[in-house]
This record gives sequence, structure tokens and C-alpha cells, in this order.
Amino acid sequence: MPKLSLLGMLRRSLVHRRARSLSALVAMTVSAAVATALLTLYADLDAKLHKEFRSFGANVVITAPATAPLRPDALEKVQQAAGPDALAAEFAYAVATTDRGTAVVVAGTDFAAVKRLDSWWQVDAWPNVSDANAALLGQRAAQFVADEKSVNLSFAGHPITLRGAGRLRTGGDEDSRIYMPLAAFTAWTGVAPSVIELQIPGGAATVEATITRLRRDLPGLQVQAVRQLVEGESKIVDRTHALMYGAVLLISLTVAVSVLATLSTSVLERRRDFALMKALGGSQLELMSMFLLEAMVLAIAGVAVGFVVGSAAAWAISEGNFHTASLPRLSVLPLVLLLNLTIAAMAALFPARVLRGLQPAALLKGE
Amino acid sequence: MFFRLLMESFRRQRRRKMLAGMAVLLGTTAVTAMLALATTIGDRIHKELAVYGANIVVTPQAAQLDVKIGGVDVKPVTGGSYLKESDLAKLKTIFWANNITGISPELPLKLDIGLQDSSETIDAVGLWFNHSLGSGALTGGPQLHPWWYLVRGSWPKSTDQAVIGIGLARRYGIWPGAVLHLRTSPEQERREIHVSGLMDSGDGTSNKLLMPLSVAQSLLGLPDAISRVEVSARTKPEDAFARVNPDSLSPQQREIWYCRPYANSIAYQIREAIPGADAQQLRRVEQSEGNVLSRISGLMWLVSAAALLAAGFAVSAAMATAVLERRSEIGLMRSLGASKGAIALLFYAETGLLAIFAGTLGYLAGSGLAAWLGARIFAGDGGSAAAVLNPVLLPAVVALALVVSIAGSTPSIRSALRMDPSAILREDT
Repeated sequence: MPKLSLLGMLRRSLVHRRARSLSALVAMTVSAAVATALLTLYADLDAKLHKEFRSFGANVVITAPATAPLRPDALEKVQQAAGPDALAAEFAYAVATTDRGTAVVVAGTDFAAVKRLDSWWQVDAWPNVSDANAALLGQRAAQFVADEKSVNLSFAGHPITLRGAGRLRTGGDEDSRIYMPLAAFTAWTGVAPSVIELQIPGGAATVEATITRLRRDLPGLQVQAVRQLVEGESKIVDRTHALMYGAVLLISLTVAVSVLATLSTSVLERRRDFALMKALGGSQLELMSMFLLEAMVLAIAGVAVGFVVGSAAAWAISEGNFHTASLPRLSVLPLVLLLNLTIAAMAALFPARVLRGLQPAALLKGE
Repeated sequence: MFFRLLMESFRRQRRRKMLAGMAVLLGTTAVTAMLALATTIGDRIHKELAVYGANIVVTPQAAQLDVKIGGVDVKPVTGGSYLKESDLAKLKTIFWANNITGISPELPLKLDIGLQDSSETIDAVGLWFNHSLGSGALTGGPQLHPWWYLVRGSWPKSTDQAVIGIGLARRYGIWPGAVLHLRTSPEQERREIHVSGLMDSGDGTSNKLLMPLSVAQSLLGLPDAISRVEVSARTKPEDAFARVNPDSLSPQQREIWYCRPYANSIAYQIREAIPGADAQQLRRVEQSEGNVLSRISGLMWLVSAAALLAAGFAVSAAMATAVLERRSEIGLMRSLGASKGAIALLFYAETGLLAIFAGTLGYLAGSGLAAWLGARIFAGDGGSAAAVLNPVLLPAVVALALVVSIAGSTPSIRSALRMDPSAILREDT
């Protein structure tokens, strides 16, 4: 009779009870997949949520003192201090008179930067960047000009004619203004930019740190956080984070316990195998390691399949919800592996107490 | 006999039933908790988003153009048009009145506070403070601007009190406890007002004196006048349908548009209710809030779906095992002459009973868990957002537990029934 190796026994045990092995494997796969999906989403969550909050626009406003405008290199310095991910736009303001004799605030800015920064602006059409005299008319301001297509304004005796690209709707102060490209604005009025609106991605701590850096690098300028935005963002991200944390724990626990129940049942029902092997001379230790090994193999196979399935699920969820993909993260793998191995070990060892007390003879006789 | 078998099965196989029941219980707990959280998350996040303040602003239609730079009036408008404070009561008559959670009218003015240089004036604004909204809730300036911090003192409680912004206080050395003598024009008699508090807003309002609206009106000699109203309303995030012009729709479509709580339709209803008013959504707040709200609730629903799927798998695997290990019992019953149908019925009845019992317990546990989690995470919201038990979830969750359990045990039961009873019985001997 050929000697039966441990591996041979393992293989036969897995293959012979195919249905049971398969159901155990499915259970381990589900637990690994769920853990992978949730951990991948969880790891990405803060970044993704902060990204959503970017739609609120600038969270920091930098203002030059009334006595002196911003220096020409201010925007560059701000961008340097705030990092490449921050969005910044310069604004210059002057009060001009329309052809109907109404005073109106005219703002000079960079339309490309504003379009990225203030995504809530509803405009008929963004002006062509190459068009130096294009203008956006706030919906209230538009009622005070004679011709929206060719807007005649004058500032301190200097007239200018702007081509109106369309109306701008925000519901805020912008509705009463006329926006035009900065270069043309400065050439016309001689007024230099006085305000930089800056959006710093990240939570309150990041914003605070950047503000400190900005105040150091740009002395004399007033750097102020838009308080409600910074606070609101941190609060909501923190709470959603806590909610997801609770969900991750809850779901992982549920799946782990269900899997544990499934697996330990299938170990328990092998009391007869256990008794037989014990009667044939297997030591307690050998037998337990046999069960353990079997469970571990299933657990690792479960992780291999589950990681792929779970990463795919995480990708689908973030693509569906945030419209940006969550790429598979190898960094969650150790944790998932640990979780699955723990479940498997517990499932194998949990019934050990029951099995140890058994008398092989009694069990084999069917008592 | 059938019932006896059923009862005995539960009495004698307590451990096995406990394990399977545990799986169902935990699965339904997780699913209930996630669904309960997902259904209330919209309201909860909306409350959090209240920190951004009003999402609709009402101004007089015929107003002159604001000449404001950085929140400061460069050229104050004189003799402008105003709305009527008494008209605000009409906001409670519009279709979506119950969605209006806060109203804050304001009336700006320039004041002479008796400084040495008598030509120098300060900016002030008249506001509501703890004004009753009718439903018992209080509203006003501080409620609609949660980022206004009261550094010291209290908000005005009577018409002889005012709160000073921290910028103004520093500039003129006026601190809470001081008494100011106000007038808007040299020929007016000065009015005495006590500074009751110090306020920091982090923006231009810090340079203003905040006083009760009625005081501002009497100082200006404009009873009932307000120049701007901020409204905070619970809205539905904007979609393509929300952006259409209601006047271009057919009557039926217009009715649908009108009866949806879009910011646009609420603004439209405000314009209808208050003569001469122009209501606009504050796009910065409204658009971004909708964005954040839909992302977070979308995430919760998707995670709930994942939980549902995972719990379904776990429960059906546990059920499959539970049946699988009872094959010898099935073999014995078959050999004693029980029909396949009778055995299947017995097993399904067991599974069903277990699913209903454990599912109901899981529903209760999950509801409790969701309430606890919600209360912990969203602490200080002022009362729970919804009742702890959501009765709609009970039948849904129990039905789900039933379906999943029966679906999970079906393959095992079928395969056990297909096998030759003698083969099953010999396998274990």
C-alpha cells in the first residue's frame, strides 16, 4: 500500500468532498471579496469626497491692502506655496459706467482659470480665450446695458466696447458684474489685480497649513479662509468617513461570522474522519494541523479569487458613483489575507474542543 | 406528524439551528442597518450642509445694480426699492412651504455713532434674531449663517440691543457693555443702543453692527422695508428637467415641475407669492450641495447593495451547509417511505421559520444599530432625523431573508433528494 503523504491526503480531502470544498471556497471568496472591496473604497474615500467638495470653488481668498495692488508675481508665488493641485484665479475690480449711465462693477480675470475654479457658474457660452475683448454679463448687469452683443462702457473717461459672449447666472454678487479678460481690463483701466481666489484641495488641516505658508511667503497680504466652506467640508467628510468605517466593520463582521459558522459546521461534521484517523494512530496535533492546513489552503484560494472580484466591485462602485475609478490596491491584500486566515484558523480550531473530548471508539460505533 | 417533526427538529438540533439562525440574524442585521442608514442619509447630510447657509436669495425686482466688491458696497444705493417684511408671511403659503427651513431678511444702513469725526459712519445691518417661523422653529441671521461665532455676550434679545462685529470693535474700541448713540442723519434724534455681544464671522460682516430689523427700519424711517431675504430650503438636486423654463412646458409637465422641490421651482413659487420679488437660487451653494448629497447617498446605496449581496451569499452558504450535513436524515426518511415532496416541504418549512424568526430579530437589531450609529456619527443634530424603526423595512428584510435562505438551501435539498437513500445511509456507517 503506497504511503499517503500529507499533501495527498489534503488533495483527496478537497477533491473527494467537492461540494463541501466548493461551498467553503465560495464562503472564503465572498469574505475576501467584501473585505477587498470595502477596504479599497475606504482607502480612497477621503480623496474622492474632497474632490467632490471642489465644486464649491475657492476656499481661501487673498486680498491686497487697499493702498497697493498685488505684485505681478503674486499669482505665481501663491501657486508655488499652495502646490500644483490648487486652483487659483486673479481678479481685478473697477467701477465703470454703462452706456445707460448706470454704475457697474467690471472684473478682469482669466476665464480659463475661473471656468475650472467656479464650476457652479452657469454661462450661455464661455468666451473664446483668444478673444481679448470678450465679456460675460451677469444676468442683472445685462439689464442695464443697451446692447448685450456690443457693450459700451467707460472708465474715467476711457471708453471701451466689449463683445458680450453671453449671460452669467450665479444668484450671487457675480450677477451684477461684467467679467472680461484681465489683460484688456488692465490696459483699459490701469487697475491691477487685487484679489486671488484660491482653492486648496484637502481638509481643514491642509488648508490651515497652506494658509500659514501663504502668510509667510506673501507678507502684507490678507489671507483668509472661507470659513463655512472649510468647516463644512471637514465636518461632512469626517462624518461620511465614520459612517463608512461603521459600514466596513459591520459588513466584515457579518460576513466573517457567517463564514465561520459555515466552515466550522463542515469541520464538526467530520467527527467520523477525525475518530477514524485518531483510531489509526494520528496524534491530536497532527490531526488539528491537517484540518488547519485544509482551511488555510481554502482561505488563500479564497483571497486570490476574492481580491480580483472585490477590486472589480470597488472599481464599479466608484466609477458608478464618483465617475472616477478606484484602482486595485495591493496594500489592502495583507489585511484581507490576515482576515481570511484568521477566519479559517478559527473555523478549524473552534471545534477542536468538541473533537478532543470524543472517544474514537464510541464515535465509530455510532454512539 | 409534520408539525411534530418540525418542532422536534428545532428542539433537538439546537446547535445547528443556532448556527444557521446566527448567519441569517447577522446578515439581516447588517442589511437592515445599512438600508436604514441609506434611507436617512439624505436628510442627515442635508442638515450638515446647512453650514453653507441659504440656497435661495430674494431681492426686489426693480433694484438698482449692486456695486459691491468683496462684500463692501462701493457706491451705496440711495432711495432703492424694497420688499415688505410683512410679505414674508406669504412664504408659508407656497406649495413647498414646509421645505423652507430658514428665512433671514436684512436691511443695510449707514450709521453715525457719535464718533469724534462726526462725518464718519459705520456699516450696520438689521436682521431677525430668533424670529418664530410659525412651526415653533426659530430663524434669523445667526441660524442662516452658522459660521458667525458669538465670541462674547449674547444675540440681541430686545430692540435696545445690538451685536458688534469683531473688526469694527477693534477699530473703534467698542466692546460688549458699551452704549451707542445712533442716528442716520444729523437732524435725527439719537437712539440709545446697548452692545450685547461680540461677533466674528470671518468675512465682511465682522465690520458691521448687527441690530434687530425693527430698529434698522425705524432709524431709516422705512417701516416694513427689507432689501434682501436669504432663504434656506430643502431641495431636490437639480437634474435636466429642473433647468427647463416652466413657462415653455405643457400644463401637465408644468404641474410636475412645479410640484418637485427643485431650488428653481421653489424660487419660482416665491416670485409668484411675493409681488415685485426676484428669487434666485444661489448656485454656488445649491449646485455643490446637490453634488455632494447625491454622491454620498449614492455611495451608501451602493455599499448597501454590496452588503446585501455579501449577506445573501453568506446566508445561502450557511443554509446549504446546514442541509448538506443532514443528508443521512434525508436518507432515513426516504427509506422509511416519505415522499420527496414531503421531505422538501419539511426542510423548506424549517428554513422558512428560521428565516422569519432570525430575520425579525435581525431587523430589530439592525434598526437599533443604525439608530445608535446615526446618533453617534451625526451627534448634535437636534433630535433624531427619523423614527428608530422603519416599518417599511420589516417586510422587505424578512422577505429577503426568506428568499435568500430558500434559494441557498434549494441546491443542497435537491441533490440530497436525488441521491439513492441507501447510498447516503451507507456512506456514514
